[in-house]
Amino acid sequence: MKNRQNSIKFLGKPVSKGVGIGPVHLLEYQSSSVRPEKIKESEVDNNLVKFKSACELLIQEYNELKNHAQTQEAQDILEAQIQTLQDPEVNKTVRHKVKNELLKTEYAIFTTYNDYIQLLESSDVDWAKERAIDVVSIRDELVNAVSDKKKSLDLKEGEIVFATDIPPATMVKISRINVAGIVMERGGATSHAVILSQSLGIPCVINVHWKRYQIKNGQIAIVDGLHGDVILNPTEEDDKRYSEIKEKDAQNLERALKWAHKPNQTTCGSQFSLRANVEFLEELPRLYEYGAKGVGLLRTETLLFEAEEFDIDAQVDFYSNVMKAVGEESVVIRLFDAGGDKLLDDADEEANPFLGWRGIRMLLDEELLLRKQLEAIYRVSQDYKNRLKILIPMVTKIEEIIEVNRICEEVKEKLKGEGIEYDESIEVGIMVEVPGIALIADRAAEQTDFFSIGTNDLTQYTLAVDRGNEKISGLFDSFHPAVWKMIKMTKEAADRNNIPLSVCGELASKPEAAALLMGLGISDLSMNAGAIPYVKAVLCNHSLKEFQELADQFWGEPDARKRDKLLQKWKKF
Amino acid sequence: MVSKKVTVKNESGLHARPASVLVKVASGYKSEFSIKMYGYNVNGKSILGVMTLAAECGAEMEVIFDGPDEEEALERIVQLFENKFLDVN
Repeated sequence: MKNRQNSIKFLGKPVSKGVGIGPVHLLEYQSSSVRPEKIKESEVDNNLVKFKSACELLIQEYNELKNHAQTQEAQDILEAQIQTLQDPEVNKTVRHKVKNELLKTEYAIFTTYNDYIQLLESSDVDWAKERAIDVVSIRDELVNAVSDKKKSLDLKEGEIVFATDIPPATMVKISRINVAGIVMERGGATSHAVILSQSLGIPCVINVHWKRYQIKNGQIAIVDGLHGDVILNPTEEDDKRYSEIKEKDAQNLERALKWAHKPNQTTCGSQFSLRANVEFLEELPRLYEYGAKGVGLLRTETLLFEAEEFDIDAQVDFYSNVMKAVGEESVVIRLFDAGGDKLLDDADEEANPFLGWRGIRMLLDEELLLRKQLEAIYRVSQDYKNRLKILIPMVTKIEEIIEVNRICEEVKEKLKGEGIEYDESIEVGIMVEVPGIALIADRAAEQTDFFSIGTNDLTQYTLAVDRGNEKISGLFDSFHPAVWKMIKMTKEAADRNNIPLSVCGELASKPEAAALLMGLGISDLSMNAGAIPYVKAVLCNHSLKEFQELADQFWGEPDARKRDKLLQKWKKF
Repeated sequence: MVSKKVTVKNESGLHARPASVLVKVASGYKSEFSIKMYGYNVNGKSILGVMTLAAECGAEMEVIFDGPDEEEALERIVQLFENKFLDVN
């Protein structure tokens, strides 16, 4: 942290890319600032009316928000907030405190809610603890509304939100205002606020210790969501630099989005397919805008980590929501791809988690988990025939494929026994992300319906480079010829055995890599939705012949620097 | 007054969403509704009351209705527990 000429620089964790410049808006709750105050008998009625109209006002506000909420999850959160405002016990207690104990409405609300908040916070159950933050925000909004203080959220377009943490319900509100950026002191990389900022394209940096400084509303701040820099009172030089980046980003996006709804074909008329990698429901509204044709990789780990979503019903719900959002397109569901490091709190720590108990290895040991997930998928499939596929992660042995296929059959038998219909023709494919399976791709192809190449893991395992290790981050190179040899071998095996192959890794989101993949005959790519317009613009503007030439030159060039040069011109669209 | 013992069957317990559904359905009936669990007694139409029970899968509770439509309400709520709170009409 440097402090030069009043300009303060913080470095946090970047979680949602883009540059934001704008005035600071401190999002702080006046919690614990309500003092006990008594009222006179004659003021009781007035206080009760104030309470009633504050509740009505907020209910109206929340109802309106709910009507515009784009996801089921957001609607559920807002519905719970409305029910809280209508809670008969809470309201009875508040009225009692005003009427019989002659407490001022604000204080009556404050203490009544605090009893519940305390109970929720001290619960042993995780979801109850998490709910406490939403109840705190309702409490504070009510207190503010009663005391005619500024409206709970007078956030304006273009402001940068500085918060400790943002409760889900507040985040839904923020998401309706076009803010320039979000800076949080806390906040996990998978918190609701972070997910929403990613899906809405709001630059966001977390773990920024801004509270150590005297920061005021209206001060100018810059947020760089790509690198994690947050600058307060930027120098002219900073301002100029970031304004330029911002403008360039905007121009690029605008230019790329023009391609989003054009047909997926090259200048020579050759077809390709661009689909989205998706993890959260909030990402879905963007798919259409960015021109994604379905979901090429649906990650399901979040279901596993959020205890609330663990059961079959919640999974059915989740998959159905995704299916509804993609229209007529298809969705590839990857089975839980969790590592031992993430799975359970009491999991024994592994010395090498990336070489350890993860993906299908874990699922075959925790067979019940696997069976439940398969059951949820098959249950959903009856309504979406021929549009669901299953993908097995981290396969290294043929026997693992055979075992999963067998379990699939048993799950189908079980459903049949229960009289539940399902899609008979669901394809089950495997991730090719370990060199070992790429080397025996021909044999694997005999046992499975399709291949999907995960390029990050394939790179990490082929080159023996831990992608989380900063010391060797320069060695993590998905353009290494060995990685491409793996991809090429796998594609050839798929062709020989007549099964489809797609690439669903980070690599495909780079236009130059997408061009190279097209040159290898791989035309089915899946990536984060935001990258699709850029990739599409490049693919639409060239011919298959050009891609093949690029691939041939790249393949034949032994000098890494020259290979890199070959790719340069493809990085721009 | 009518009552019945029910068991929470959803794997993740009576968390925010099922609690919300329970309160919504129960609020549609005139009868008073209370839930007894581990010696606690909460108003079943109170979302915060129901949530503070933090009932997990397998938790047993008694649901009690008292009022003009008590039979109908009880039947519906018991069914809701059976269906793991999926069915909201």
